[in-house]
Amino acid sequence: MTEKKDNLSKLLHDIRAKCSSLKSAADLFKDCSAEEKKEMISLMSNAAKDISRHLNELEKE
Amino acid sequence: MNKLKIFVVEDDKLAQKLMSKHLSEHVVDFADNKLAAIKKLKTNNYDICFFDLMLGIKDDYSGLKLIPLAIDKGIYTVIMSSSDSDEIVDKAYELGANDFYAKGNEESNVDSILKKFISNKNQDSTENIFTNRFITKDKSVKSAIMEALKYASSQLPILILGPSGTGKTSLAKIIHEHSGFEGNFVAINCSAYSEDLLEAELFGYKKGAFTGADKNRKGRLLEADKGTLFLDEIGNMSLNMQMKLLKSIEEKTFYPLGSDKAEHSDFRIISATLENPKQLIAQGKLRFDLFQRVHGFTINLKPLNQKKDDIFPLIQHFVHGGKRLAFMPDAKDYITNHPWPGNIRELKKFTELMAESGEGRINLKTVARHLSAVEKITPPENIMNDSHYKNALANGLEETLNLLAYEIIQKSLKENKGKKTKTLSELKISTRFLYSILRKFEPIGETSND
Repeated sequence: MTEKKDNLSKLLHDIRAKCSSLKSAADLFKDCSAEEKKEMISLMSNAAKDISRHLNELEKE
Repeated sequence: MNKLKIFVVEDDKLAQKLMSKHLSEHVVDFADNKLAAIKKLKTNNYDICFFDLMLGIKDDYSGLKLIPLAIDKGIYTVIMSSSDSDEIVDKAYELGANDFYAKGNEESNVDSILKKFISNKNQDSTENIFTNRFITKDKSVKSAIMEALKYASSQLPILILGPSGTGKTSLAKIIHEHSGFEGNFVAINCSAYSEDLLEAELFGYKKGAFTGADKNRKGRLLEADKGTLFLDEIGNMSLNMQMKLLKSIEEKTFYPLGSDKAEHSDFRIISATLENPKQLIAQGKLRFDLFQRVHGFTINLKPLNQKKDDIFPLIQHFVHGGKRLAFMPDAKDYITNHPWPGNIRELKKFTELMAESGEGRINLKTVARHLSAVEKITPPENIMNDSHYKNALANGLEETLNLLAYEIIQKSLKENKGKKTKTLSELKISTRFLYSILRKFEPIGETSND
């Protein structure tokens, strides 16, 4: 039970962290060079996928 | 801001990228796991560390374990985490972390942390201030300045109170230097200008805005953008100017004279006055709302005659080129007991005179000759004479004061070869006042605009 609760809080922690990063990245995006924008989109997509994966895990919890 | 060496421990690639953007002006090193972080911490020297606490989804706050390592190396340690648990925050501080911030607003958080770091770094050398920049042995003055320096990097306005010559401008400059602000320190003495000139000086003007404005000029408010605006003798500003200044402080925008285009300037205000601001408010000379805007933290500087232990260290400080001044014991006593009405400024002049005197050990006669001469001229002269008194009894005080004002204006105009702008500036009077006095005592037609 404690382990389950611990996993849950770690998942929520990671979701919060990735959402915050996505928000900050969106704020910075327009000031990036074309090359950086590409890199940023790739990193943001990966973060979004991680969030989606975590949400699936959350569903199973 | 000097380049800092910064270490970021963060497992998330996007968060790493964001930090590298926010810290682009500095030298930044990254690690994404505990072992790599420990290795880098052991082999490199950094100014600041930013630690994420959870390094991986299954990680058990391993970032916490890095804190003692960084602290032992004297690195300013900042935790950035998405954890809102009080237990984790307490734990991080317990382990010695200097700062903790929640992820999500990196731009302003990182900026304020860097400013705080610079300020703390400068604070370490605060004791040097009292031996090099603001010489004092007085404990209460020292602690007030230390307290003020804690707010140096914030936007909190600071009000410095103290008699003339006590070092208000020097202190304002020291606070600015500790702020880490990228902008300039811009000082203006409000009592040195008439209302019109002060407005032009503060807000700037466009070519042709008034007679004599032959080119555009940047105002002091714009010069102070991202820096500090030091307003000395703020109580001497007219109420009208106070209102204009208040508006520009609140809105961070203003219009240069003759311009319909608003300028933007974001500055921190440090102000000073030798008068009691509460009395100025009660007398209607200082707007309460402006006072509210400028008095976030208040420092009182004592006159020199209440800090007698500072006199000789200051004298040695003012002597250039390593020369030492020596005084006979009775001369020392005389210096110690002198009232120093002009405070540190007067002491500085006195030191320069003594340093040039060429005497080996300066005796009482030399000291007394210089200081008694100062004493005779330093207190305000009694400008009232018998004829003024008789005039006041015969025609009333107001009429006599107007007459006195007329005599002073006449004298100034004569000295300035009739140039009214110079007289306005020197006597710190408004154009309206000058003409009202001239019209009162000069036949119609003799008062003309220059």
